[in-house]
Amino acid sequence: MDKNITVDIADIKTSDDPNAVIVTYALGSCIAVMLHDPVRKVGGMIHFMLPTSSTSPEKAEAKPGMFADTGIPLLFEKMYQYGCTKESLIVKVAGGGALYDDNGMFNIGKRNYTILRKMFWKNNVIIKSEDVGGRKSRTAKLHVGTGRVTIKSNGEETEL
Amino acid sequence: MTTAREVMRKADGLPTLSQVVTELSKLIANEKSSAQDFERVIKPDPALTANLLRLANSAYFGLRRQISSTRQAVALLGIERVFEIATSASFTRILPDKIPGYEIDARSYFLHSLAVGAMAEKLAELTHVSAGDMLFTAGLLHDIGKLAIGAFLIADPDAVRNALYQREVRFVDVEKEIVGTTHDEVGALMIEEWHLPQELGWAARWHHAPNGAAPPADQTMVDLVHVADALAHMMGFGADVGELKRTIDDAAVARLKVKVHDLEKAAMATMESIKEMSEILGGQA
Repeated sequence: MDKNITVDIADIKTSDDPNAVIVTYALGSCIAVMLHDPVRKVGGMIHFMLPTSSTSPEKAEAKPGMFADTGIPLLFEKMYQYGCTKESLIVKVAGGGALYDDNGMFNIGKRNYTILRKMFWKNNVIIKSEDVGGRKSRTAKLHVGTGRVTIKSNGEETEL
Repeated sequence: MTTAREVMRKADGLPTLSQVVTELSKLIANEKSSAQDFERVIKPDPALTANLLRLANSAYFGLRRQISSTRQAVALLGIERVFEIATSASFTRILPDKIPGYEIDARSYFLHSLAVGAMAEKLAELTHVSAGDMLFTAGLLHDIGKLAIGAFLIADPDAVRNALYQREVRFVDVEKEIVGTTHDEVGALMIEEWHLPQELGWAARWHHAPNGAAPPADQTMVDLVHVADALAHMMGFGADVGELKRTIDDAAVARLKVKVHDLEKAAMATMESIKEMSEILGGQA
């Protein structure tokens, strides 16, 4: 039986249970970063809301998973505790949706994605596959045993 | 095609929000009302009283001091605030498990409602505007029309999906096309029929078209609910079938002078209280 582990908004979860499925719902402009180590069979996911913690250092302290700049490094650290290395991790990304007429200001999704790309580029992290942007909300699932990732949006489920 | 009034008439068995809330609206309208009057109306309903007190002591509504009775809540928080809390506590009771036509469960729908209330208030604070005493409830009830109109949308779910996913039109326009009316029109009528404070109807009516609001409607309140609604959807509070298929009105944004960091602050500051309120009203929500 699969065991669902739910990642709330602004939350980070990791697991080495091969039967576990790490899942997050309703990614609007938020982004999920999913890490998987195929050798050690470890999976991890963050569902972050906002790009940078500079707007509220106190919040970042209490809830690091809220921001890309505090949450993503923390997710990697949690994975390293299982013995994973940066090179052993497969990285997938989903979310960062937008509204119809994004005049920029409301495009938190795009800003979330931009900072993520910047951080990955600086740290030599390569994204294996991604499903970002667009006018849709997504549900993301990461199967810890296999590394399989599925994205559900607009009523359809696809492999990532 | 169906008009908003016909939707109201045909939506059989649609409960009124609650007798208690209707009674409380009357008390608010009457200057002579006292804390005792409030207590008299709420007391016969112990479940409501319990939830009201738990909400009154939540991080969002609470004060440092513990509130242990309705009377004390009125004394410390004011009658308008207690009305808002009582409305929130009553709201979950009328929600079906799933809102037909919108592919959303009661929990997500309610979470979205709470999020819009809380985000609208936070945005008002951050942009230094004021919008009456009922802003939270205006946000809470903005989508109430969905409860009545949903039954008309499920008549043709494929038409809804095609319009949304193939043609990329706004969800309110899909409602208009398929039903003949929209959840904002129906919601405003429901609030009128239930004799709730009229400003709640303004927010319900204009939250997708803030420029349509005209006096006596409170433009600031309408604008705040409009922006908070979009923000709540972006943050994933209540992803229904319409999801992000909406527009943001530039004029509303300009009137509020809302900035990027206001949006981000409003989202981060309210996240935990929204979840707490939703958990307090548990079970369904």
